[in-house]
Amino acid sequence: MNVVVCVKQIPDPADPGALDPETRTLKRDVKLILDESDSYGVEMGLQLVDAAGEGEVRLVSMAPNNEVSGLRTALAMGAESAVLVSDEALAGSDALSTAKVLAAAIARCEPDLVLAATESSDGYTGTVPVQVAELMDLPSVTFGKEITVEGGTATVKRQTEAGYDEVECPLPCVVSVTAGVVEPRYPSFKGIMAAKNKPVEELDLAGLGIDPTTVGWAGARQEITEIAEAPAREAGEVIVDEGDAHERILAFLDDLKVL
Amino acid sequence: MDVTFGEDRELFASTLREVLDDRCGPAAVRASWDDPAGRVEGLWALLAETGILGLLVPEDHGGLGMDERDLVLLLEELGRAACPDPVSEHAAVVVPVLRDLASEASRERWLPGLADGSVVATAGSPVDRPVLAGASADLVLLVVDGALHAVPGDAVTATGQAGVDGSRRLATVDAATSADTLVSDDPSAVDVLLDRGAWASAAQGLGVAQRLLDLTVEYVAEREQFGRPVGVNQAVKHHCSNVAIALEFARPLVHVAAWTLATGRLPEGTVPPSADVPPASVAASMAKAAVSDALDLACRSALQCHGAIGYTIEYDLQLWLKRGWALSASWGDARHHRRRIAAGLGLTAVRSGG
Repeated sequence: MNVVVCVKQIPDPADPGALDPETRTLKRDVKLILDESDSYGVEMGLQLVDAAGEGEVRLVSMAPNNEVSGLRTALAMGAESAVLVSDEALAGSDALSTAKVLAAAIARCEPDLVLAATESSDGYTGTVPVQVAELMDLPSVTFGKEITVEGGTATVKRQTEAGYDEVECPLPCVVSVTAGVVEPRYPSFKGIMAAKNKPVEELDLAGLGIDPTTVGWAGARQEITEIAEAPAREAGEVIVDEGDAHERILAFLDDLKVL
Repeated sequence: MDVTFGEDRELFASTLREVLDDRCGPAAVRASWDDPAGRVEGLWALLAETGILGLLVPEDHGGLGMDERDLVLLLEELGRAACPDPVSEHAAVVVPVLRDLASEASRERWLPGLADGSVVATAGSPVDRPVLAGASADLVLLVVDGALHAVPGDAVTATGQAGVDGSRRLATVDAATSADTLVSDDPSAVDVLLDRGAWASAAQGLGVAQRLLDLTVEYVAEREQFGRPVGVNQAVKHHCSNVAIALEFARPLVHVAAWTLATGRLPEGTVPPSADVPPASVAASMAKAAVSDALDLACRSALQCHGAIGYTIEYDLQLWLKRGWALSASWGDARHHRRRIAAGLGLTAVRSGG
């Protein structure tokens, strides 16, 4: 059972970066870490490989400047190897460009299953997993909360607003998993040391056979026309109890349609 | 000498910090007061998985075979979280003492269980009576009649003792010793035990003091009086700066002691007080004396800068305040360790008891 997990290395959300007013994109020249929402996919992949008794978890990532620190975290958790695509021509890539790159890198790994987070914590497009599936001509299941694999079929509990659907899907397939559905393991000290010696294959666009004019700024199909400061939080409403506070609170909640 | 830590050790520390932030936050430490063994629920198994418990256990006994330079930042993290479990006694005292002094049979018997966490060990200081987790540990390392013994928990009679810090479960311990439990009757073994314990509590103390300082700086920047944060007043800034200075002076001593415990020698250019005093004893006592002083100052300043709220049981500052008081005094206070260094220098005329 070979599982590829798509992981993204993002600026630390605890130390939020800034938007570059020229490119209108997030500045990524800071230290990047593993997106927490990807740690669930890594954990799920490791559990599936454990359950299968054979195979391994490989990571696929795209990042500027050959950044690997986030990959090391996932390798320390137990993934066996990683493929990292870095190329100057990838700056400004939109979701589809990213999906093209990931699909090409994933195809080299010939996985039985591809896992990805539902969306990244910095970009939030939420479209990359299904785009990867489409480009690779693979079936795709979104919002997975539990996956079991048996005899070439993945059974996925798929989160819905009301509960979950159980769907079956032939392998290989792409499943996006929701955050918080498993408890990602902490890397052990042994794992941290072993991660240093695990292979990280670094590729550029030429290595993947991708035409640089179809990705990055050159191939972008979307344009960010404007960025603006988020509006400041407005002051709340203070309800002073004059005997009718409960009624006013109920009316307030009723207005919000939460009752 | 190089006492910088490098990427791996910093990653170990940030990983442990993550585990402790998630599982040993203030609420978990408070909950440990109601646990019969005074432990944080589920934490020990997680710590065992990280590898900290067996960090100093040789690889052929199931550990990671690392040294004190790999451990010291982790001990600081335990202090930063006010972790109530006897991790420091287990991993930084019992493990290396048995590793270095015990017979092969005794090492075989205990080290694998210490490495995987199935045996919980603690150690009693030769200079103060109560033993942390003395009533609940599976193995207690302590000095009886001048000899060092490793006594299984079922051969120990423990009497609970109230301590200043509600999340340190203390007990005085009477142990049924035998030839089987004997680790070493060489008088130097007592010093080895004290070196280890003093250094480990100093390293934890650094973490406690740093946390006290961080909480205080945060508080005085937020708390307003007369329309401005109290931290803008010079007198308050001075308190915080003095703690920061004391910590900056104490930290290298703790790190050098780690280096000395790992290598058996003092850094190049350091003149040992005399050929009779083991380098580790000098380094550990210097570290503990400096940290105990810094910790006392950090506690006093944190409490004063917080005002009365710092003393209340509902407010989290007390978790670190009380841990600070306890660690400052345990395994020998600053005065004890200064006297130990003085004795090593041949200053035997120092009067006792004063």
